[in-house]
Amino acid sequence: MMRFLLSLFLGKFIYILSNWFHLGTGSTWPGHVSLMINLSFIPFILSKNPNLSIIVIAGTNGKTTTAKLIQTLLEKGGKNVFRNKEGANLLNGIVSALLRYSTIQGRINYDYAILEVDENTLPLFVDEWKPNTLVLLNLFRDQLDRYGETDTIAQKWKSACGLLNPSSTIIANADDPQMAWVSDHSKAKKLFFGLSSFPKQVAHHAADSLYCPYCSSKLSFSSFSFSHLGKWHCRSCGKKRPEPTVSHSPIYPLEGAYNAYNTHAAILTSQSCGLLVDAKKALLLFHPAFGRQEVIVVKEKKVQLFLSKNPTSFNESLSTAMQAPLPTLCMVLNDQIPDGRDVSWIWDVDMESLDHARTIVISGNRAYDLALRLKYEITPKAFAQKVFVELDLSNALLKALSLLPDQETLFVLPTYSAMLEVRKIVTGRKIL
Amino acid sequence: MLTIGWLYPQLMNTYGDRGNIMILQRRCEWRGIGVEIKNLDLGFKIDDLRVCDLLFMGGAQDRQQKIVSEDLFKKADVLTRMIKDGTPGLYICGAYQFLGKYYKEANGTIIKGLGILDLYTENPGTNKPRLIGNVIIEIQDLRFKMYEEKNHKSSIVNRKSSALVGFENHGGRTYLGKGLKPLGKVLHGFGNNGKDKTEGVMYKNSFGTYLHGPILPKNPNFADLLIKCALEKKYKKSIELSLLDDSLEYRAHQAVLKKQNYHAWRF
Repeated sequence: MMRFLLSLFLGKFIYILSNWFHLGTGSTWPGHVSLMINLSFIPFILSKNPNLSIIVIAGTNGKTTTAKLIQTLLEKGGKNVFRNKEGANLLNGIVSALLRYSTIQGRINYDYAILEVDENTLPLFVDEWKPNTLVLLNLFRDQLDRYGETDTIAQKWKSACGLLNPSSTIIANADDPQMAWVSDHSKAKKLFFGLSSFPKQVAHHAADSLYCPYCSSKLSFSSFSFSHLGKWHCRSCGKKRPEPTVSHSPIYPLEGAYNAYNTHAAILTSQSCGLLVDAKKALLLFHPAFGRQEVIVVKEKKVQLFLSKNPTSFNESLSTAMQAPLPTLCMVLNDQIPDGRDVSWIWDVDMESLDHARTIVISGNRAYDLALRLKYEITPKAFAQKVFVELDLSNALLKALSLLPDQETLFVLPTYSAMLEVRKIVTGRKIL
Repeated sequence: MLTIGWLYPQLMNTYGDRGNIMILQRRCEWRGIGVEIKNLDLGFKIDDLRVCDLLFMGGAQDRQQKIVSEDLFKKADVLTRMIKDGTPGLYICGAYQFLGKYYKEANGTIIKGLGILDLYTENPGTNKPRLIGNVIIEIQDLRFKMYEEKNHKSSIVNRKSSALVGFENHGGRTYLGKGLKPLGKVLHGFGNNGKDKTEGVMYKNSFGTYLHGPILPKNPNFADLLIKCALEKKYKKSIELSLLDDSLEYRAHQAVLKKQNYHAWRF
């Protein structure tokens, strides 16, 4: 008990300090300290708050957007909700969020905590506490240097799902074969979301799970939405895509098939929480999370950020941006820790469509790798005329803006750390 | 005209491996050399392998690797003969391990390799870290030097690096038998096993390595070496490839060297 109180006080104290002095460390550091003093801080504080429902969101792509969508729906339903800060999705970030929203006595006066968790953190969290709702979005190859292979993660998730009680609910993506497999033997209640119409007949190059997670035979797909997501069945063992409960929405606040999945996941989650919210009304004024199709006006021109952090999200960003007739793009590739130090994934992105871009400005500390990727993809003529490498990010953005025709949008496709840098430049004074 | 065989593009394609194929294809096309890429997927016909002038195989996750090994064993005779016969080939990560005698998994299970080369790989267990990070290796093989002389006169290319750069990510540690030459010496990173400073393997015109990134875009002299070997073997005469402007390739190459504080490594 003493240990718990000490970890609570100290964590809370550090949170207040870092807030006061604008240290910018408030999203992970308080949790880090609390966990150092008390390893079982999470079960301690959550068992003191039996009325707080925990919604955990896991997946390679779409965690932050889905968390924000769920928050919007639940708040419209009159609930008090908080979520952890984006990116702060390891145990220390989650504990920091719990500290931030708790009183000094450890009471959390909210109805729901929406927690996005890192792929490797999901099993750790479930070990500590069984969430009321677990949302499983997808698994794509992402930062193989940090996360390892998707099969390894899927195996860990399966074990985590196996620990859940019948009182928990798993909300899983029916179109991702691995999500069906991961949740299969869990005692928890299972609900599925998916798409109702599929645009593609062929798989992307980066497709990961084209082999049956149950029996390793080649899966059959009657159609794809993107990557390995689609209407799948296995001719060998007979497993097939579960029937989704939610597969359409009256409104899609963000473009792209991947955001349709996020929207469906959020609607299904709010339904399973027993809330009858008018999604159309609730999501009409939805503001995207940082860098996720976020629009920022710079020098009277529209800049739209499409976080592009792995082959799947890059492909989807491109297919949205390339809907414009002759788009101007700025692509920024970094290899910092949050981006993954291995940049080989850019070769798994389908870039043929970039032949039809007006201008492509390339930046980031691995700009030459990305330029090389384009050199071997588009025609030499297009490469010579359209592609500009500018290592300095401010100059790159200025260059792209100067080549951008009036009334058009500049599409910026950055990796994670690059997205934060871009935001800093375009929202700060640096460029204005 | 070259026929490039890509072994198991659907299954053995994890770390942007297809970039290597794109590089080989474009660098041939830009020189007016015709190329055909043969996708040798699960259950491919053995005759499709026999006609290939150059082979490539990438890495994969364990599950995929097991599926592939069953299929590949049926074709092992032909592949062995081709490699021993000097058919050039590039084998990355899991494919490299396949060429050896065996792979011992983290749990102790032994997966038989094709046994073409005298090498073996062992995964020391899940409590030992994977070998992950940027790699720089030094090449001594003079065949990589193919353009140096010309370069002094040419202002468009900078082919003076004697290093290969890439990224490695492997749990298995590979050990070479006494008679085998490594591809290079580790200057930065782990290489074959993190201990003996060797990286990869060279046998006749076949190269095994843990370097992905993918390896060929940032090391265009390696790509050209493979193309040259393939053409020379096919047409049984010495071949000089025309020069391409590789300034961008070498900027990307230099960026990795600089990142790890190696400057201008030269022959």
